[in-house]
Amino acid sequence: MNESVLNELAEPVSRVISKPETEDSLNIEYTATVGQPLCDDAKFSTKNVDVYYADNQAIHDVTLDIGANEVIALIGPSGCGKSTYLRTLNRMNDTIDICRVEGQILLDGKDIYRKKQDPVLLRARVGMVFQKPNPFPKSIYDNVAYGPKIHGLTRNKSELDDLVEEALIKAGLFQEVKDRLHAPGTGLSGGQQQRLCIARTIAVQPEVILMDEPASALDPIATAKIEELINELKENFTIVIVTHSMQQAARVSQRTAYFHMGRLIEVGETDQIFTNPAHDLTEKYITGRFG
Amino acid sequence: MNNTDIVRQSLKKRYLKEQIFKFMGMFSIATAILFLLILLVDITTKAMPAFSQTKIALPINLDAEKLGLDANSSTESMMNADFRLVIRAALLEQFPEVTKRKAKRELYSLTSMGAEFQLRDMVIEDPSLIGQTKTIEFMADDDVDAVIKGSIDRTLPESDRRVKDQKLSWIESLEKSGQISTGFNWNFFSNGDSREPEMAGIKGAVLGSLFTLLVTLALSFPVAVAAAIYLEEFAPKNRFIDFIEININNLAAVPSIVFGLLGLAVFINFFSMPRSAPLVGGIVLSLMTLPTIIIASRSAIKAVPPSLREAALGLGASKMQSVFHHVLPAALPGILTGTIIGMAQALGETAPLLMIGMVAFIVDIPQSAVDPSTVLPIQVYLWADSPERGFLAKTSAAILVLLFFLVAMNAIAIYLRKKFEKKW
Repeated sequence: MNESVLNELAEPVSRVISKPETEDSLNIEYTATVGQPLCDDAKFSTKNVDVYYADNQAIHDVTLDIGANEVIALIGPSGCGKSTYLRTLNRMNDTIDICRVEGQILLDGKDIYRKKQDPVLLRARVGMVFQKPNPFPKSIYDNVAYGPKIHGLTRNKSELDDLVEEALIKAGLFQEVKDRLHAPGTGLSGGQQQRLCIARTIAVQPEVILMDEPASALDPIATAKIEELINELKENFTIVIVTHSMQQAARVSQRTAYFHMGRLIEVGETDQIFTNPAHDLTEKYITGRFG
Repeated sequence: MNNTDIVRQSLKKRYLKEQIFKFMGMFSIATAILFLLILLVDITTKAMPAFSQTKIALPINLDAEKLGLDANSSTESMMNADFRLVIRAALLEQFPEVTKRKAKRELYSLTSMGAEFQLRDMVIEDPSLIGQTKTIEFMADDDVDAVIKGSIDRTLPESDRRVKDQKLSWIESLEKSGQISTGFNWNFFSNGDSREPEMAGIKGAVLGSLFTLLVTLALSFPVAVAAAIYLEEFAPKNRFIDFIEININNLAAVPSIVFGLLGLAVFINFFSMPRSAPLVGGIVLSLMTLPTIIIASRSAIKAVPPSLREAALGLGASKMQSVFHHVLPAALPGILTGTIIGMAQALGETAPLLMIGMVAFIVDIPQSAVDPSTVLPIQVYLWADSPERGFLAKTSAAILVLLFFLVAMNAIAIYLRKKFEKKW
């Protein structure tokens, strides 16, 4: 055996193998957002937003506009801060004591974190649909009627009935439940429950609907129905949707924002993001090399 | 030896351990059930005599002259009339051979002290009885009762027997003539306490317990639930709130007699509230019940899934609305269970009530929460302390009544939990 072979056995030369990239290898110090975070007709306008959980910074300097009547998808690997960002938009983070938001978030030009802003009023304007369907343990009717009731949106029972029916129709659930409006909402299937939650949200007639992975707990058929619904709702509402499914983002949204490690890496037209991403990380994510 | 063999070898030991554990578990359960059965059987058998009462039927001549009454007499004069005379006359008529003073006194003690009141009440109810002769069943004295029920052994020599030969012969002659009967002892449920076992009843203590528990519930439930909601949903997380939490938990472990001393010092001596009253008892017990309900309510509220709160908040409900419309209804089964456990504890509590004077001997049945009264566990304690033989059975019977109320309250707790429980 010659010397070179022995040397190689003792000290193996690192061979270049294409390993799946780990989170560590993608660690970034700072990257300015690529693409077009601003738009002309902005409903929400967030500027230099930082979010902290105690001393832990979850969102770094995110600047992003959300246009009126657009559907914008927030994508990115788990823990990248997209849900946290979503929850700053209707101040759901207020319920977490250790959470602190810095920067500016404007809704129709007014800062929603200003002292005079009432979070209750804000949440009536900015509705939210959660990851896991969470209907109240009440009847289907009461689930939808709850929001209008607490806000006093209707004057009498028949107006309320109409509003509930309209919301259920818009959510594409009315045909399935019209005979059992007073059956418990928790008795529906998962997909129906999620559409009930959407109906409940649109019954308050908000301007913006935030959706936090609305289809992640559902089967493909129920997911398809939700997506169809989002396509119909975008006529009347501004929708911000967080999703893990890139196909879903591609199907329902006009714009897509890619988050990574608490930073907004790239934002742009959905077609452009999925066909021709400008940033290296975005490309790696959508081609499935991590995440 | 390969892995399969190693695993196979260890299996035997593992299964043996499981067997031993199962056996120990079954043994513990069997022991617990056995002791419970012994307790219940013992109490029940001892209590049985208290539920029946011996009666003596006597032909009574309600002589208008002797009583100084006629059919038109006022109720007041009837109250003051000496009905003892006619009962004694009837007894003398039955046993004309008794002439000596001492023997007469013995004879008169065949019927209960309550017999004259029984007769008086009958006459007040129906004044037309005056002047008539009627056979009336009177409560027998507790000694007669004991002989009939066999708790005094007739075969013992006279010197060892509480009821002497002479009295025994009267009892036996009455028995022979069919004048002695036993029936269900309604008096036990309709009378207050008494020094005479045959007249003593549980009603005063039951009502006392009821008033006490009502005061306890009215005070502790709203305060405890409000405290639990505030601490769990609204309170800021700081040192002061932590301090309060620790103290609430410690309060649950304070010996109950300390609460009694506090009640005595604060409510009776300082605020001059009535002594021996269910009002004060209820306040003292609610101090004791508060931590129990607060702790149970907090854990029930904590167990409500956060998604429910988020759903309400997301729709624009205020914090208050999300708590009262959604969290509280969902936590209600747990809160109610905790409340009833606390109330059951309060029902069985004796020590703090001793300190505020509810241990007094009270004959009157309380009409409200400020009347002096006693409670069931203290009634048990009082009767257990009494020397008369008849109270032995009464003590066990009172324990049975107490146990009945406890079981009933737990049954209500289970029913309420099932009723308010909702599936998610």
